[in-house]
Amino acid sequence: MFLFTKKQEVFDISGIKIGGQPGEYPTVLFGGVFFKGEPDFEKEKKNIQNMLDLSQRTDNPAIPDFFIKKEEYVEKIVDFIESTLPKNYPFSIDIIDPAVKIKTLDALDERHLLSRTIYNSIHVGITDKERKSLKKHRPEMAIIVAFNPKDKSPDGKIEVLENGAHLTDKGLLAIAEEIGIKKILIDTAALAPGENSGASIAAIPVIKEEYGLPTGCAIHNVVEKSNWLKNFESARKTVDASSNVNIALFGGNFAIYGPIENANLVFPTIAWQDILVSEYMENYFGIKPSDNHPRRKLF
Amino acid sequence: MKNEYYPWGGEFTACKLDGCVAVVLLQIEYTPTSEVAIFGPLRTENIGIEKIVANVISNPHIRYLVLCGDDIRGHRSGSSLVALHKNGVDEQNKIIQAPGAIPYIENLKSQAIDRFRDQLEIIDLIGVKDKDKIDKEIKECIAKKPKCFGEPYIAIRIKPEITVKLDDKRALHSRIVVNYMGKIEKRGG
Repeated sequence: MFLFTKKQEVFDISGIKIGGQPGEYPTVLFGGVFFKGEPDFEKEKKNIQNMLDLSQRTDNPAIPDFFIKKEEYVEKIVDFIESTLPKNYPFSIDIIDPAVKIKTLDALDERHLLSRTIYNSIHVGITDKERKSLKKHRPEMAIIVAFNPKDKSPDGKIEVLENGAHLTDKGLLAIAEEIGIKKILIDTAALAPGENSGASIAAIPVIKEEYGLPTGCAIHNVVEKSNWLKNFESARKTVDASSNVNIALFGGNFAIYGPIENANLVFPTIAWQDILVSEYMENYFGIKPSDNHPRRKLF
Repeated sequence: MKNEYYPWGGEFTACKLDGCVAVVLLQIEYTPTSEVAIFGPLRTENIGIEKIVANVISNPHIRYLVLCGDDIRGHRSGSSLVALHKNGVDEQNKIIQAPGAIPYIENLKSQAIDRFRDQLEIIDLIGVKDKDKIDKEIKECIAKKPKCFGEPYIAIRIKPEITVKLDDKRALHSRIVVNYMGKIEKRGG
């Protein structure tokens, strides 16, 4: 457990706070909605409600992370966001295809939803059209993925943030600044086993001390790509959920934990971990947990 | 073991050692004939492609690379692999005219890419999910009985040079130090 010397930023989106020193604010948990296959709205409505209930029970904030894979899904999913989430509740959009990203930004702006939007994500593959669209339809918050295809170490991740590792005309932080997004989260880009997967965890304290920005990752991706784990089917979900404790232990602020169905395992696991971290941080460093923290609710 | 023929590891199945076909699966549940050399899925347009290149040039018997199934939205990994074979990479190691989001080949030397382009012929069945059609194309490739390309090419994974030598073992990383209580500071203040 660590205390950072650098001032740690805390960003607010619709009342949910992300960032700070370890033990200060609870780990924010992003659950993937429409993670696989065709969108099943009825199923996901129940899953979102379940995640929000778990969030209330543990005090770990929940963010539904909406996967939008095709342009024809954009309107339907934006409708769903508007009708399903509580009033002013924040959410993130998790999109790979730049054309779908642009169409979604347009739709979110039209419905006045950008002040609740976390854009997932800006990375070295950002296109000029996407940059223009982000300037025109600016989301409240964005996740920068520090993926550097040539150097997967913490230094490589800092390189893309600083100068784009020559893959973009400037660093990803400068791109976000140019767009005008002030609330930035850093995702340390968890890669497959064999691709320096541990670097995504090791990079968390390095990046937090360097920039003071809220930091986390989708360590779930490493579990999903661990082929040998398929031979231990009964342990797979447990490993998946518990992998997220690494983020909180290394001082991280958020976990993108994979499919929303995993919420039942992830929320109590991370609430437990947040209490563990908070106890040490208060006893040694005097970092008090925020009013809404699992340690206040569950201890 | 057969897998030792494929030095970069990955999510693949090795079949006939001197088979001439490698099959790349794009979002398709399909098991080709055991007469192929190797088959497996492709997901990402950077690291995924690098693994495929390394694991086919290591087996000189492989002369055909069959891509089948639906390309992955956004990543466009299959089309990016086709673009690599057709165009190679530019001075930034970006696959020329690749449609994927982050199509960079950063961990292979240019010789490995050249070898891939010379050794393999691409059978582009992107968009095809009809298993009979894919079987037929694979069968046709096998029937051609192409010659072995020569010696295996074992691609060395390019790794950043490790330059950090620390005497101070409190470090988690060269940029930061941690004291006995867990307080982190930037190295050198």
